[in-house]
Amino acid sequence: MSESIIVCKEVHKWFGNFHALKGVGMEVKKGEVVVIFGPSGSGKSTFIRTINRLEEHQRGTIIVDGIELTHDIRNIAAIRSEIGMVFQQFNLFPHLTVMQNITLAPIWVHKWPKDKAEEIAMQLLERVGIPEQAHKYPGQLSGGQQQRVAIARALAMQPKIMLFDEPTSALDPEMIKEVLDVMAELAKSGMTMLVVTHEMGFARAVADRMFFFDQGQIVESGSPEDIFKKPKEERTKLFLSQILSH
Amino acid sequence: MERAESSSIKPPVTSLGVLGWLRANLFSSWINSLLTILTLILIYFFGRVLVIWSVREANWSAVTNNLGVLTWGRYPNTEVWRLGVSLILIVLMGVLTWVQWSRQENQRSRPVLLAGWLMMPFVLTILIRGITMPTFRTIINNIGYYIVHPDVLIALDQTWRANAALTLTGLLAGASWMIFQKRRSRILTNVGALVVLALMVPLSTLSQPWIFGLRTPMAIPMLLTFGLCLLIGRAVGRSFTNMVGRAHVLGAIWMISLPIVVIVLTTFEVGNEAVDPVEALMIVPPNIWSGILLTLSLSVVSIAASFPIGVLLALGRRSSLPVVKGFSILFIELVRGVPLISILFMAQVMLPLFLPLGVNIDRVLRAMAGMILFTAAYLAEIVRGGLQAVRNEQVEAARALGLNEFLVTSLVVLPQALRAVIPPIMGQFVSIFKDTSLVAIVGLLDVLAVGQSVIKAREYLGAVREIYLFAGLFYFVFSYAMSQASRRLEARLGVVESE
Repeated sequence: MSESIIVCKEVHKWFGNFHALKGVGMEVKKGEVVVIFGPSGSGKSTFIRTINRLEEHQRGTIIVDGIELTHDIRNIAAIRSEIGMVFQQFNLFPHLTVMQNITLAPIWVHKWPKDKAEEIAMQLLERVGIPEQAHKYPGQLSGGQQQRVAIARALAMQPKIMLFDEPTSALDPEMIKEVLDVMAELAKSGMTMLVVTHEMGFARAVADRMFFFDQGQIVESGSPEDIFKKPKEERTKLFLSQILSH
Repeated sequence: MERAESSSIKPPVTSLGVLGWLRANLFSSWINSLLTILTLILIYFFGRVLVIWSVREANWSAVTNNLGVLTWGRYPNTEVWRLGVSLILIVLMGVLTWVQWSRQENQRSRPVLLAGWLMMPFVLTILIRGITMPTFRTIINNIGYYIVHPDVLIALDQTWRANAALTLTGLLAGASWMIFQKRRSRILTNVGALVVLALMVPLSTLSQPWIFGLRTPMAIPMLLTFGLCLLIGRAVGRSFTNMVGRAHVLGAIWMISLPIVVIVLTTFEVGNEAVDPVEALMIVPPNIWSGILLTLSLSVVSIAASFPIGVLLALGRRSSLPVVKGFSILFIELVRGVPLISILFMAQVMLPLFLPLGVNIDRVLRAMAGMILFTAAYLAEIVRGGLQAVRNEQVEAARALGLNEFLVTSLVVLPQALRAVIPPIMGQFVSIFKDTSLVAIVGLLDVLAVGQSVIKAREYLGAVREIYLFAGLFYFVFSYAMSQASRRLEARLGVVESE
């Protein structure tokens, strides 16, 4: 058995008086693909954002690869360097070319020489299937292409874990597949992944485990088989029936 | 198939020709035609008056005869070539930058250009203000005077000093021969010894009584001393070859003794406190800068110096540190609450209060300081607007990549924020350029003030219009160039911003 690379215990988070996370606990093993789903406002995005400290948790512990997430800036930096993140709105830097977007962090954080960073960036662009776009600006690309650049940008830091925060929700339908294909390939290569998504086809095919979030809590978890064939909780059943029916 | 068909249909003709353009733009309706004709009549009457006046009546000699005074004012005529060289330098750098900009693929010369621009302030200051260069000998003399007490050294004659220095250097070099193994240490040793020997060259030609009153050039006893000490040093060094850390000890001795040797050797004139520094370029204090020179240097300095300060203030205002934030807000609001004229007066009157007694800052520099602070406060507010336009998601994406807060700000937030506010920033620059004319109130002679003094001269007494037209034209040309540059910059940096 490989050990857990992410350990979360009793994670609480409040936005003002709103209790967004109510004691979430989760352990993720190395190489596991975890899909998190649930209605909007259920805290699933907030939860994965606490893992790389884009949101601060107020109670409980989060340990990533043996490093506990505290107020210590060094711990936060160390954890962020092990985690790549892909956002719903891509969040590419509009003033930089695709190549510069990807090489920015390796050059400034890892201090790689420019040549090495660009070489690796080209490999990643080939991996996500758009090497010919290297010298365009994000604004010149389609949404699907931008999201694939965002994945390449996160991978360039050679993270051990990838977080995906609704990576296909802002995409036109015909572009969803190209992004999901890249993610499936990434999962096959053994990357540890936490994916917040409503793409149940992707979850069924790729996920090792699924977590259903509602009202800041994990309502149910299990293998895709269990969740889709015999969900135990009423809320899970109801939600699945709603998103699978259309 | 479909594509081929649709592309075979030609787009409608959109170019109109001169007549078509006229009809479409100037005479599209009866009211437009009326306005066009009225405007043409107005232009004709005003233009006619202006042309007739400037050809028949105007006394342009007031401008042409005083072009020098208007341009560089009281700058010494013999030194005006330095302004010319400065201008050529600026134009050259501008052209090089422009060429670099229009070629996108080759970015190799970029760091060179950047370094060039960073050096420009120093080069221009030296060129325009002038510089005094202490000679190597002056420096050494002064150091020697303060370190080695002159009363002791004065008794030592050159022969003694030379031999002492040679003995020490020879011993050390000999020991190094045996002890230093690293290539770098050996090279440094050789360089050090060569420096000492080079300093001997002027001494070595002196002829001195030596053995039995024989007069020979100093070179002979010096070489003998050096050779002997080299051998002794070598023998001493060999006896230490087993000592731990010998190389470090010897290195330390070298570092201490080399400066002493150099100082002892070169302070021939100990006791004469200093040989006067040489004025390499005659000093022209900013106090007497005037005319276009003053206007341009005031604006360039205020623009170049206020920009970084303004950016820092804008960042400071958004900082989470209460002291930094409080200071930034206080500064910005204070300065923005006061008119430029009173800031200029305060810079003249108040600034000396904050300086140590006896330090007297040039009046032009005081005006510059006032204008820099004034512009910085306004820029800070403009840049703050730009910072607010950068979405927080950009910051999150940068943080998630592991960039620290400094890198997030300087690589992701600021570039986007500044792009968004190029037009108002350039507007502020144009405005401060025109506001330099206010320094006349504190007694400085900018181009307008020089013009006014020209009018007061008896021979040009009536030439008010000519002088003011000239000044107006000067301001217009530069302001227009600046706004054109701003539009170029926008077009260049703004294309990619579409998401």
